[in-house]
Amino acid sequence: MFERFTDKARRVVVHAQESARERGADTIRTEHLLVSLFAVPDNLAVTVLTAHNVTRADIESDVDRMRGAGPAPSDADALASLGIDLDEVRRQVEEAFGPGALDRTRAAQNRGGRETGWIRFDPSSKKALGLALREAIRLEHNYIGTEHLLLGLIHEGAGGAYHILDGRGVHLGPSRIIVEELVRGKRAG
Amino acid sequence: MTDATKVAAAASSRDPSVGLAAVASLRGLLESLEELQVTNARSQGWSWQQIAGALRVSRQAVHKKYRRFGF
Repeated sequence: MFERFTDKARRVVVHAQESARERGADTIRTEHLLVSLFAVPDNLAVTVLTAHNVTRADIESDVDRMRGAGPAPSDADALASLGIDLDEVRRQVEEAFGPGALDRTRAAQNRGGRETGWIRFDPSSKKALGLALREAIRLEHNYIGTEHLLLGLIHEGAGGAYHILDGRGVHLGPSRIIVEELVRGKRAG
Repeated sequence: MTDATKVAAAASSRDPSVGLAAVASLRGLLESLEELQVTNARSQGWSWQQIAGALRVSRQAVHKKYRRFGF
């Protein structure tokens, strides 16, 4: 399926990984795909959203509100909430065991590895990508562009993204019509 | 805010994203400190039995966890 993705659609999918990680998520969810549509300049999905008066700031604030928080707190902040000063612990440890001793432990490095590792798509995201393909086929387009990704997200099975879009008045029928009109005589995006 | 009030604040926080993140970070710090101390003890010639006694765990548990470190 990915071989049919346009370059911009691929970049959205790749960026969704980053969006998920920035928000401390352990899987890529549909809201990460949705917010990533804005990470690729000048694409048809954004044109459709703009036609609905939906901005990047709107979507970002909706996504951040869903989790009740922005990025996951750093270890230092989390430990501070328990009254533990991580910098002070690190200083004491380094005094005894040398510079970087705490961060050089295997335990610390394994944690780092997990944070930078590959994050998988959750079931709703996989479903939304499948729906994007179906939308492309339905419109008789032989590629999957950002506009099809957006349409794939406007299905109830698409979870978080669907609820955000529904709340912003972005619905499937009208969006399909806008996409058809945009694509007619225009290049894929 | 003093440390004592911070502890009180965290203890009274019912926001799971704050409380759970604190537990996860604390566990991470614990793992690093334990590894440092076990490594240090071994390099000073402590037996697994002595280390286990000080950590208040079984000798098997500490050996199983750290034998792959090669000391």
